[in-house]
Amino acid sequence: MNQHPSAPVSCLPALLAVPLGAVFMALSLGSESQGLVFGLLLGGSMGLGLAHHLGWLDRAGCSAAAWPRTFGGAVLVAVAGVCLWFHDDPFVLFLIATVLVYTLACFGLNIQFGFVGVVNFAGASFVGVGCYTAAILTKHTAIPHLLVLLAGGLAAALVGSILLIPVLKTRGHYAALVTIAFALLFKIFLEVNDVMGGPQGLKSSGLKVLGWDFNRDVSLGPFEGSFYLNYVAMILALTVLGFILARRLEESWIGLKLDAVRLDELGGACFGLHVPRWKITAFTIGNFYCGVVGAFFAMMLGYIAPSNFAFGDSLILISIITLGGLGSLWGTVAATAIVILLPEKFQILQEYRFLLYAALVIVILLFRPQGLLPRPLRRYAMLQRDGS
Amino acid sequence: MNASLLSTTRLSRSFGGLMALSELNLEVGRNSILGLIGPNGSGKTTFFNVVTGIYAATSGQVSFDGRDLTSQSPQTVYRAGISRTFQRSRLWLPLSIFDNIIMGDHKHLASGLLFNLFCRRRLKAQLKESLARARELVAIFDPDLADRLFEPVANLPMIARRRIEICRALISSPKLLLLDEPSAGMTREETFSLVDDILEIKQRVDDLTIIIIEHEMSVIERITDRCVVLNFGEKIREGTYQEVTADPQVQQAYLGVD
Amino acid sequence: MDLALIAQHVVNGLMLGLIYALVAVGFTLFFGVLDIIKFSHGDVLTCGVFTAFAAFLGLQVLGLESKPLILVVIGVLGMAGMAVLGVLIARVLVLPLKGAPALNVLLITLMLGTVLRESIRLFFPDGANPKRFPALLPDWSHSWGRFTLRFDNTVLLITGLLLIVGVQLIIKHTKLGMAIRAVSQDEETAKVMGINFNLVVFITFAIGSALAAFAGLVSGLYYNEITFNMGLLLGAIGFSAAAVGGFGNLYGAIIGGFLFALLQTVGAVLLPFASAYKDVFAFGIIIVIMALKPTGLLGEKETQRV
Repeated sequence: MNQHPSAPVSCLPALLAVPLGAVFMALSLGSESQGLVFGLLLGGSMGLGLAHHLGWLDRAGCSAAAWPRTFGGAVLVAVAGVCLWFHDDPFVLFLIATVLVYTLACFGLNIQFGFVGVVNFAGASFVGVGCYTAAILTKHTAIPHLLVLLAGGLAAALVGSILLIPVLKTRGHYAALVTIAFALLFKIFLEVNDVMGGPQGLKSSGLKVLGWDFNRDVSLGPFEGSFYLNYVAMILALTVLGFILARRLEESWIGLKLDAVRLDELGGACFGLHVPRWKITAFTIGNFYCGVVGAFFAMMLGYIAPSNFAFGDSLILISIITLGGLGSLWGTVAATAIVILLPEKFQILQEYRFLLYAALVIVILLFRPQGLLPRPLRRYAMLQRDGS
Repeated sequence: MNASLLSTTRLSRSFGGLMALSELNLEVGRNSILGLIGPNGSGKTTFFNVVTGIYAATSGQVSFDGRDLTSQSPQTVYRAGISRTFQRSRLWLPLSIFDNIIMGDHKHLASGLLFNLFCRRRLKAQLKESLARARELVAIFDPDLADRLFEPVANLPMIARRRIEICRALISSPKLLLLDEPSAGMTREETFSLVDDILEIKQRVDDLTIIIIEHEMSVIERITDRCVVLNFGEKIREGTYQEVTADPQVQQAYLGVD
Repeated sequence: MDLALIAQHVVNGLMLGLIYALVAVGFTLFFGVLDIIKFSHGDVLTCGVFTAFAAFLGLQVLGLESKPLILVVIGVLGMAGMAVLGVLIARVLVLPLKGAPALNVLLITLMLGTVLRESIRLFFPDGANPKRFPALLPDWSHSWGRFTLRFDNTVLLITGLLLIVGVQLIIKHTKLGMAIRAVSQDEETAKVMGINFNLVVFITFAIGSALAAFAGLVSGLYYNEITFNMGLLLGAIGFSAAAVGGFGNLYGAIIGGFLFALLQTVGAVLLPFASAYKDVFAFGIIIVIMALKPTGLLGEKETQRV
């Protein structure tokens, strides 16, 4: 694509695609029968295939890329719309919240893995650090809950920075070693340790922000909804914030430096790139995301246990970002939806989850390593905006 | 001697038993172009690697612009004002032409987290200015590329990539430019045009010293003020192109170079 | 601390070290030849021992009685089976990804490990539960005071050490070994010299995987139990052992394996109240060593070319 396209790209194709997607999601989420969902999926896939064949998918993609803010806004409105549609269905709302939780955590992992190239096989463990921080702080202190979210992020960032020290001087596989060891040991450590509740885990209080109790059903005039609506709103806001920050990071000098580290450290060093600094920065920011997610998740669930943070869970996170496309934020959104929602709708899949996703990643890496929605070239959207 | 920008004193580098560089005494005059020639394996790229800090010197000294740069990190060497290209092109392939070039100016690219995340207007101004500079530089070497700065480098042919590497090395206005076989793989016309472009750059910029490793003798002949010939890590001859190529010892080292 | 207890710990440590060393040697061979970390290695170990176990069940059905014969048959089947699996992995997953970033191979082998592990859990009859592995070696033992030396442990130890020495001899003194070393050092030159790169890779993978199967067999015979996820921790330990020794360095892998076992034993002794901490302790020390000596105790092979 030229820097100065001869004809301006319309935002219509993207804006048309969004409500279609929203309706599809609403239908899929709402239907109880597995047969209907299967039919929807089949129909949806065929529809996508047709759209691809007609070139509509590409046009929608170009459109979305040319109008990122409009597209993002439209998606946000659509998601909010779907949430409001299910305002009194706690199960669906919980599901949506879970998808957003995983998405935000995977944004963090994408900053580590997709941007700077540091592997982190302990993503779930860092989420766990955030969870336990929140559980402990809410039970034993009166710290306002928004600050607890922050504390969860900071705790995860701190633990991560300790782990990172041996990694900095070494090659990629050592980062893998350290994070795998941490992932395996985190669960063991928690289970053996009665201070943190042992295998039974810990209880956490629900979220309360500025007097608004998130565990109370919503009742605003004629409007009534499940209390999960509160949580969905919060995690949606956090996810949007996380997306914007990650995007800004990517489309900046720092994003460029992170890419240089990932692609060729030595070449970068010859142009002054201080490699350890950027590995630390990205690793820490990514873990911060995971920690905040964890703190939120603990308060939403009300209860956490070590079995939630096993090695397999970290691998699911890795599967998501690989499936979506390393370094691709929208890809992560799409992949998370697929990975979390499918087993919920098709109960048979639950048991085979790990196997299926591992196999899927293998297939992706062999045949489409760039993922579902490959990370686009950095074009510095802000430059394009006023037609420079 | 203030006239020399870079000087090495008894610079040596060994790998196990192999002496890749042996007691090398070399001086490069300010604003001059020095040719570094010699048969394959004679230590030319190793010399670049030692000067730029990729390898530490086993012994000896490197002095640049009055500073001791011996065995400093590549980052320090870059900040002192030395940029280079690589024998085997080392670009960040999935990134755009613009990204590749402007990373060459890394020391002037803001690193602050708060700035990059929250001072978007100023960042935008910096981007525009950098884009203009990159475009201007690329236009000298390849006017066609100047309009295509947002294409991935991976899609480009080798010749274009080599030119981009040179632009990357030049964008930070280095004091010393190290070119490692820039004409490799180019046709005669392309090589000719490359030499023109390098000479044009040299004219435009006040303070630029170049060391160029080459196998293509026409380049050396046209562009260099002096040459140094290496063989087995040692300097065997030094002088102008004519002096050096007339030397029987040099001819023997090359085994048949005209 | 009496001598008998110490001796018991020593024997235990040696057995563990042997298992870890066998796994670590595989890791280091793969890295040496292809600059890759094959994360599925631990799960290949599990596959190997489950294959042997399945073979055992099959032989039982066939009515075979002789324990030594059974042992040899299932051992051979397990090792041969894993050798084949290793070659398949190389052929289908690793070689096709040769040009791709190293992270991709890391990921794909990690996922393969999950596939192997989950497949055993889901498809092997009652795979989720631990299985009792038969005791196929005679349980003769001799006691000196309170220290008991068991025949079966001794046999395992000696066989294992012989295997490791054997691999080492192959690498150092045969043409094949030289080919492997040549490919490790410089793939392009090795190819130019007429070495069949793919064949060397396949053979290396076969050897490494067979060693893993043997390690699994040792583990099964020693602990009398196998589980579907035994390979996960063993793989992680083998990986760290190879890392601590320096990837690509055969002696490093062996030393690393025994070192890890030593650390675990010391950890278990120092912290008797929570033996689970021994893993935390051992990994912790390894990580500290890596922080101090990033390329491993004996040095990793150099792979950068500028």
